[in-house]
Amino acid sequence: MTFPYLLDQLVNGLILGSMYALVAIGFSMIYGIVRLINFAHGDILTIGAFAGLAAFASADLPFPVVILIVLVAGAVVGMVIERTTFRPMRGSPQVTGFIASLAVSIILENLAIMILSAQPRTFHIPAYLNTLVHLGSVSVRVIDLTIVVLAIVLMIALVTFVRFTRIGIAMRATAENYDVARLMGININRMIMLAFAIGSALAATAGLMWGAKYGQISPLMGALPGLKAFVAAVIGGVGSISGAVLGGYILGLAEVLFVGLLPPALSGYRNAFVFGALIIVLLVLPNGLLGRNQETRA
Amino acid sequence: MQTWIKGLASAAVGALIAASAGSAQAADPIDIVALYNLSGGGQASLDVPSLNGVKLKAKMINEAGGLLGGRMLNVTAFDTKDDTREAATAAKRAVAMKGVSAAIGFSDTTYVLAAAPLFQTAGIPFVTSGATSPDLPVMVGDEMFLVPFGDDVQAEAMAEYAYNKLAIHKIAIWTDRGMDYTTGLTKYFTKRFEKLGGEVVLSDVFMTSDQDFSALVSRLKSTDGVEGVYAASGPDTAGIIIKQIREAGLDLPIMGGDGLDTDLVVSVPGKAMATNVYFTTHAYVGLDTGPANEFRKAYTKEYGHEPENAFAALGFDAMGVVANAIEKAGSSDPAAVTKALAATKDYEGVTGALTYPEGSHVPSKPVAIMHVDKGNVAFEETVTPKD
Amino acid sequence: MSGRDTFLPKFAALALIGAGLVFWARSVLDPYALSIVMFVGINIILAVSLNISNGFTGLFSLGHPAFMTIGGYMTAILVMPAARKGLMLPDLPAFLAMQEWSFLPALVAGGLLSALVAVIVGFPVLRLRGHYLAVATLGLIFIVQSLAVNLDGVTRGALGLSGLPSLTTTWWVYGFVLLTLFVCWRLKHSSLGRTMLAIRENELAAACLGVKVARTRVFAFALGAFFAGIAGGLWVHVVTLISPDSFSFGLAFQLVVMVVVGGTGSITGASLVAAVLTLATEFLKPVEESLNLYGASQIAIAVGVILILIYRPAGLFGTAEPQPLNLIKRLGSRHTSPANSPE
Repeated sequence: MTFPYLLDQLVNGLILGSMYALVAIGFSMIYGIVRLINFAHGDILTIGAFAGLAAFASADLPFPVVILIVLVAGAVVGMVIERTTFRPMRGSPQVTGFIASLAVSIILENLAIMILSAQPRTFHIPAYLNTLVHLGSVSVRVIDLTIVVLAIVLMIALVTFVRFTRIGIAMRATAENYDVARLMGININRMIMLAFAIGSALAATAGLMWGAKYGQISPLMGALPGLKAFVAAVIGGVGSISGAVLGGYILGLAEVLFVGLLPPALSGYRNAFVFGALIIVLLVLPNGLLGRNQETRA
Repeated sequence: MQTWIKGLASAAVGALIAASAGSAQAADPIDIVALYNLSGGGQASLDVPSLNGVKLKAKMINEAGGLLGGRMLNVTAFDTKDDTREAATAAKRAVAMKGVSAAIGFSDTTYVLAAAPLFQTAGIPFVTSGATSPDLPVMVGDEMFLVPFGDDVQAEAMAEYAYNKLAIHKIAIWTDRGMDYTTGLTKYFTKRFEKLGGEVVLSDVFMTSDQDFSALVSRLKSTDGVEGVYAASGPDTAGIIIKQIREAGLDLPIMGGDGLDTDLVVSVPGKAMATNVYFTTHAYVGLDTGPANEFRKAYTKEYGHEPENAFAALGFDAMGVVANAIEKAGSSDPAAVTKALAATKDYEGVTGALTYPEGSHVPSKPVAIMHVDKGNVAFEETVTPKD
Repeated sequence: MSGRDTFLPKFAALALIGAGLVFWARSVLDPYALSIVMFVGINIILAVSLNISNGFTGLFSLGHPAFMTIGGYMTAILVMPAARKGLMLPDLPAFLAMQEWSFLPALVAGGLLSALVAVIVGFPVLRLRGHYLAVATLGLIFIVQSLAVNLDGVTRGALGLSGLPSLTTTWWVYGFVLLTLFVCWRLKHSSLGRTMLAIRENELAAACLGVKVARTRVFAFALGAFFAGIAGGLWVHVVTLISPDSFSFGLAFQLVVMVVVGGTGSITGASLVAAVLTLATEFLKPVEESLNLYGASQIAIAVGVILILIYRPAGLFGTAEPQPLNLIKRLGSRHTSPANSPE
């Protein structure tokens, strides 16, 4: 094991971790407000990727504009799902929402295959995003740096928003207690819908980044990243935005190092390792690294 | 709510009656069933093109006047939803339909093994368009036929090409452990490559759903003396693998099987990075002017886009081989079709001339070796397997 | 609810009627229709046994497919002729490679192995609650799947074990359906069953009353896993093949839907919905094929599930076991049963 090799793998883990972090932030955002594990989150990632593809393909729009379109697309889909599915069952037991989100996921995936076909598609990005940047002995591409920076910027922006703005405070109040928040004159329907809009917009952006990084997207691409982002969110402490980012990085690094440092024959157990880690974290740190002790989990 | 369910149920019953009436109506149409994973998971990207190929060929035959003096081909497609249970029940349903002349289906050995034994018991030939395990006829029985060459043939062809022509003696192998196809490729490749005197210096594995290969790429980079990579991959990961290896600055030869026969191999990494790639595939007949070219045109006209990968042409040929056998048998009786299928000799398909050697249901077909250079896919040479 | 004294004769009478129906089905139905009947039965076993943990005890588990995989492989390996095992599975431990069991003991062994795994996994994992437990058990599916793919000397990897004898008949399925229903019904109306319901309704209160919460939870989980293992063994000997993907996450969803839609805790509800859902999927297929809209049936079912969750959140039957005569009345009314809302 040489040092450059280890460094290489650490960089790989960091980049993969930022991808997980991007997906996990939105996940945690929704969970923090409505206590819903949204299984369809990964599918919104897919929608974001295809919206990005459509935006690139239909008009040669600049990258920032494409990001904007994807954000809007994600937010709209998130709000529609909230309004049609989750709002009518608010107040039901936790698992009801969970099952409903599974159903939404099945609907979205099957619709996607029916409409878009199951074929993977090429996802091209402007050439400057693919340029190599040399940082000492390792070289990364501009898109990789964009992903890392975006994850951190979004985290800071969201934490600031939730902590210091009026709407953010109202959202947190909603998360604490629906009834009290309502008595304080907060429109909780609007707050919850906003949480879905922001969370889904972030997932869609993550999908765009995913497509930009790997160069290929498909209707089922979101399923596994969605699940892993959930694991990341749990490690960090579900409901905590900075926890989600931390969890994303830890998971990304752990996964890459698992594959990179252990014998190749064990690479096949990659997903087993991720879920094994999830179970262990849940048992040892039931509230995750940065989560607050809000409810009985273990 | 209840009326809604009733409505659906009656529609379902209606469709059932219509379907059974269709097959019982007259001896006129020739019934073929096609079993594919069309929804619900990853197989759809191989199976949908296959079924498109099957349907296109059937349509072309029907437009040309059908078989056996004007009898039309009637292809009923069953969606098995990436589920072996669905594959088994679909086979049972097809067998219960009565009057089925032959069955076509699947791109993966596991699903064939769930469905084909039931056709075997019922005495109906099962022709797989995409599953490539050479052991299939041994495992299922004499009703089992393959349209593609076996994995052993293409993996061994590539092993010889790599060792002899590309002078690669130390190789790294990446295997998708989630598919029998890819594990089979690796098994046969390794055996032949080592027999030739080569050495496998790194053997890494991944799963079909993986998209991030960075950890594997770094290990490849740090392994000493690797002269090439054999990537046993399906179409869905083929492009990403090449892209990620090239982006890490590695320009060594990348080799693979017909899983790499997809446009994604060029389009995902982009033309500049899609270079120094070699893969084995079917010996398309007349890519420029002949049948393969006509197939490409007809497919594009029918479905609005070019064939997605090699499986489309294989589906097309599977239907063609079956139709050829029916015509040769002079009957749509499954037993006669099986007999005629086994005697298939020099059937001119899009994916090469197909002959079932005496006593074997794995075709002896030439293997084409293709070379991708700066985004151009060029034919390199044909290897004809020794019997 | 039916009294305990009248239960046995009633159950026996229903079992006899059922046996008559099976006998009749076997004489008139073709192999395709019979296999659908078998899957209806297997799904009833699965849904009812999942109800022990998810319904009675309030443990939201998605782990059934993992246990089916374990039971399925175990049964298949035990039944397989020793000569074939030597050929197909070189890494099989010697004590397994020699065995050639008949179907019944192999099924039971598969069930017991699943239960054993459930006990080992259960003690730590069942400390989790609500959807945390759901996701942990979901992880279990992926872990078992990974093992099945990668331990190819024992499982033949991604290819799976094929050419298994089709040993499962409608009688085997029917026998195990009866056993599952009998055990679950007795359990629900026993003091142990009431202990489980108590844990579901209020764990703290139950613990205060001296209920051994952890032990009862693990027992519920393991009993469910036992039947899941048996169902796995039955299933693979209908399909004659088991692969790592045979029992996946999608199946977990279907099973949970059966329990939730039927009414968490209702044996009748879970059985009825299991039967209806299995048949509906089958009947929707020709519609899907004629419309050329593959995947539409999954969408239709998912939409149906969401509608039921919105309009009847406690499921069609709640925890109750409706008497056949009341059934029609209850279905007609929109009223949800009072015993609902598991945490």
